[in-house]
Amino acid sequence: MPNSQSDLTSLKNKSKLQRILSAFVDVRELMLIVLIALIIIVMAIQNPYFFSISNFRAVAVGMAPTAVIVIGMAILLASGGFDLSVGSVMALSSTVVAMLLLDGFSIPTAVIFGLFIGAAVGLVNGLLVTGLGINPLIATLGTLSITRGIALVLTEGFSLSSLPSAFGWIGKASFFNFPVIVLLVLALVIVFDLAVRHTRFFRQIYFIGANEKAAMLSGIDVKKITILAYVLTGTLASLAGILLASRLMSGTPTAGNGIELQVLAAAVIGGASLRGGEGTILGAFLGVVFVALINNSMTMLAVSIYWQMIIIGAVLVVAVALDMLLRSDSRLKTTKN
Amino acid sequence: MAEGEIHALIGENGAGKSTCLGLLNGVHKPTLGEIYINGERVIIDSTGHAQSLGISCVFQELSLASKLSVAENIYAGRAPTRFGIVNWKELNKKAQNLLNEFGLDIDVSQSVDSLPISTRQIIEIAKAISLDSKILLLDEPTSALTPDEVQALFKVLKKLAASGIGIVYVSHHMSEIFEISDKISVLRDGTKIATYDTNKITKNQVISDMIGSDISHNIQIKNPKIGDTIFELKNYSQDGIFEDIHFELKRGEILGLAGLLGSKRSEIVRSSIGLINGAIGETYIDGKVIKITSLRHAIKLGIGFVPEERKTEGLFLDFSVGDNLSVASLEQHSNMGIVQKKSIHSATEKAIEEFSVKTQGTDVAIGQLSGGNQQKIMLAKWLERRPKILIIEEPTKGVDIGAKFQIHEVLRQYASEGMAIIIISSDLPEIISLSTNIIAIHEGKITGKLSANETTEDNLMQLMAGTMNTSSTASASTQV
Repeated sequence: MPNSQSDLTSLKNKSKLQRILSAFVDVRELMLIVLIALIIIVMAIQNPYFFSISNFRAVAVGMAPTAVIVIGMAILLASGGFDLSVGSVMALSSTVVAMLLLDGFSIPTAVIFGLFIGAAVGLVNGLLVTGLGINPLIATLGTLSITRGIALVLTEGFSLSSLPSAFGWIGKASFFNFPVIVLLVLALVIVFDLAVRHTRFFRQIYFIGANEKAAMLSGIDVKKITILAYVLTGTLASLAGILLASRLMSGTPTAGNGIELQVLAAAVIGGASLRGGEGTILGAFLGVVFVALINNSMTMLAVSIYWQMIIIGAVLVVAVALDMLLRSDSRLKTTKN
Repeated sequence: MAEGEIHALIGENGAGKSTCLGLLNGVHKPTLGEIYINGERVIIDSTGHAQSLGISCVFQELSLASKLSVAENIYAGRAPTRFGIVNWKELNKKAQNLLNEFGLDIDVSQSVDSLPISTRQIIEIAKAISLDSKILLLDEPTSALTPDEVQALFKVLKKLAASGIGIVYVSHHMSEIFEISDKISVLRDGTKIATYDTNKITKNQVISDMIGSDISHNIQIKNPKIGDTIFELKNYSQDGIFEDIHFELKRGEILGLAGLLGSKRSEIVRSSIGLINGAIGETYIDGKVIKITSLRHAIKLGIGFVPEERKTEGLFLDFSVGDNLSVASLEQHSNMGIVQKKSIHSATEKAIEEFSVKTQGTDVAIGQLSGGNQQKIMLAKWLERRPKILIIEEPTKGVDIGAKFQIHEVLRQYASEGMAIIIISSDLPEIISLSTNIIAIHEGKITGKLSANETTEDNLMQLMAGTMNTSSTASASTQV
């Protein structure tokens, strides 16, 4: 990835401390894997229940929606944008799918329509950002509120349950003891990680995020690609909503409340940045795993939920601060020349 | 420099005028030498320090807060207050009085973005004056002004000089400098060539000092093979920017567009390839009228465009040499949508060799390379696509002599193979030695068309400055 290259080549300009740290953090994925392994080892010693299949299964199933959404968010962040409306899209999709199922529509029809809703919200976000030039923060803050509002209006605030039992299959089924929902998430992560590394379409996203003007002047269709990135994120958010509805067997208008910030935090911990032009899907996914394990560990250690918030916030800030420190001098160099 | 003197600094782009002002203003630090104010040696280490010494600067780029009112901008951070609360009445009165001195009758409570650029320029100067400056530095203050506004500004400047303020006036508009200044210093390549009393010197002497008449490395192309017309603009105009542009570009030709800052030569070219909307007129490619709607459209038609600003418009500084080389030709390097890293790698190695780029490898971030090597990759990025027409803004801006020579050689080589090239350059020796034909542009109009062998830096400079009268323009203009 471009970022790690610049760090490597500027090694000789760094202080000893920075050199040691950057050798360690250069490959963000590796650092996260080490940290995740560390958490698992320490916790396994602390609490035997932590190191059990049922606990890992619960963590994996619990983080599935976040992991699906972080794929889209990492891609958007690489393009220099981001999307706050993902939690609302989850809610709207899950309620609309539930309503269609209750009205007697077939499961495929309901699911396809649910995915279409996410794509539509993504399209609106993309058009607001590229067509009207509205800042993504403002644009998606607007659609966050509108989309959540629609979900609440449609359901008058109530959850919709008594869904047909077949709909619950994907949320509950297992394949050789692996929850299908987790296998689906892993498949998506692998496919998108490879796509982002190797396909022309996704490579262009990094150029847009690194320097939008230069990307445009290089003949990249900045608008089209940016819009498609928002559509993809919206679609993945509605998939997350549908998976959640399947697992809970209900469509909930309050689902995914605040999930956008968790997703952003995980993606940034995983190596994405709001500046754009960097980050990988694997890194963002590992960010989600890391945050989920920290939360799980703290629950096991009986740390209060309030303290958990404080600690997760601190982890995010430390991760970003470390990153800024490590590349500070190479940044200065490239901007000053 | 004496009190009440207007001292002009003149020189070509890159001669060191703006850097010189930066030194006085504390933006840049001198590596050698001393600055004296009232006979006292000073070391200026910040803009704030410069202001406290009575030095204020008005730069080319306006630095006003566009949403705030005129009065707030003039007294930014220094508004009169009562018990910590801004005294708006007093503030507006002070601002109004100040602007009245400039002969500017506007409502000082309106926001700056509702005013034309020229008025903002005057507000910027008023702001500098309001700091009780003894020395005022002006960097190209008239580049956005109409002739009437220039006259209004000059009146103000003369009044200021009469009140004892010393003014350093940077410009390359010959006529303005002769009108306003008491003394002229000519800079070239960062060195002062001479200082003259304005009334004892001729424009021609200043021009030949600026361009350095000793420069004569005119390596002419041997028998350029010029083919058919491939690109033509006719009756090409955009309201208030440029008008009635007409030129033809032929296969194998290097066409130079010469003009000073504000000549709109970039706007003409950028409009013609769909980067700026709103121009009217006809564009012909291979003899067919084509309405180019976007840069992507232009690229599909076989046009390549190397922009002027390497760091902001051309390169992805944190990305590798290979990424930067392949960004415009990812299609060629992809198979079923999958980018072939090997293909990019070998193309990059080839380009590194062809241009003798100094880099530790294809994976090095391009921001780590020197300006000249960055420029070579930026050019190679487009040559990768083998465009039929290549448009280059400032092909060797901020590039050392060796790289410059190599870039020139490569461009001549591609032209001789039939590529049609347009270069925009502020570097007169470059444009003359590289181009087959040259078009001089002054304030959005073509003031002359010259073939390479009849062009001298002298007559080109006069065409660019708009100082050559129309009859001599006509005689200099030939069939291009």
